[in-house]
Amino acid sequence: QSLSLSVTAAQMATWRRQIFEQLSERTKREVDEFRHYEQAIEQCVWVKKGTM
Amino acid sequence: MADDKDVLRDVWFGRIPACFTLNQDEETEREAEPYYLLLPRVSYLTLVTDKVKKHFLRVMRAEDVGEMWFEYEGTPLKWHYPIGVLFDLHASNSILPWSITVHFKNFPGQDLLHCMSSSVVEAHFMSSIKEADALKHKSQVVNDMQKKDHKQLWMGLQNDKFEQFWAMNRKLMEYPTEEAGFRYIPFRIYQVNGTHTSTPLILESSQGTEKRYQVVIHGIEPLMETPLQWLSEHLSHPDNFLHICVVPAPSD
Repeated sequence: QSLSLSVTAAQMATWRRQIFEQLSERTKREVDEFRHYEQAIEQCVWVKKGTM
Repeated sequence: MADDKDVLRDVWFGRIPACFTLNQDEETEREAEPYYLLLPRVSYLTLVTDKVKKHFLRVMRAEDVGEMWFEYEGTPLKWHYPIGVLFDLHASNSILPWSITVHFKNFPGQDLLHCMSSSVVEAHFMSSIKEADALKHKSQVVNDMQKKDHKQLWMGLQNDKFEQFWAMNRKLMEYPTEEAGFRYIPFRIYQVNGTHTSTPLILESSQGTEKRYQVVIHGIEPLMETPLQWLSEHLSHPDNFLHICVVPAPSD
């Protein structure tokens, strides 16, 4: 029986929940306080306003 | 509870705040201010630092400008490792923003690969994707793609387009329903001495003793019982490899 089938639903919930929680904490730690920083990659805007 | 697909977004949109400072030994015509950026964890330094280069070239003479390279606390940063891997490996316990020193001379050719244009990054990225698919599907998926499909993967990464990238990458993440997962799981393990390996690494059990190492993927520590197949499908980098950092645990 494969490993993925042998884990119980409770164990699965534990590792999944732990990953979601840690990713959320990572965002708070690494991104939320720094949202005023410039993004390294600009999202392309194909239509630009300008005067002729 | 959040959906597994949310993990893909969290991984893609992971960012590291960085402060770039010009090396003190560089010749400048006036003082160079530091430059602050949010770097995508899943991209590559030489792909996302055009703004940094332009910023520092304003204060330098053209004849003093060689190939740009980056260093953190004396360690040259390998551009061909994903940014998040470099941070987790060298600086995960440091204070944010990540302080990176920018150099334009004395390129350390013994430590770093040259990278004069984004096409070098593209070649490295596509080579990794092909290597990963050889392990997962005997190269069948990547070989069935057309050149424009390969380009879509690359352009998705280059322009930070999650939907564009995943519209194609999902094909690389599929496997036959009669099989439990991929043929092999593509992974790379990094240790602080600067090497990476695809061979097995034995970690001593930390039960009952002080934890000596952290096993870090994308800045988090998944539990050891997390299925590898799930990790590969959800926490792989865009190059389709799981990049796993083994770093000393902070001593508090």
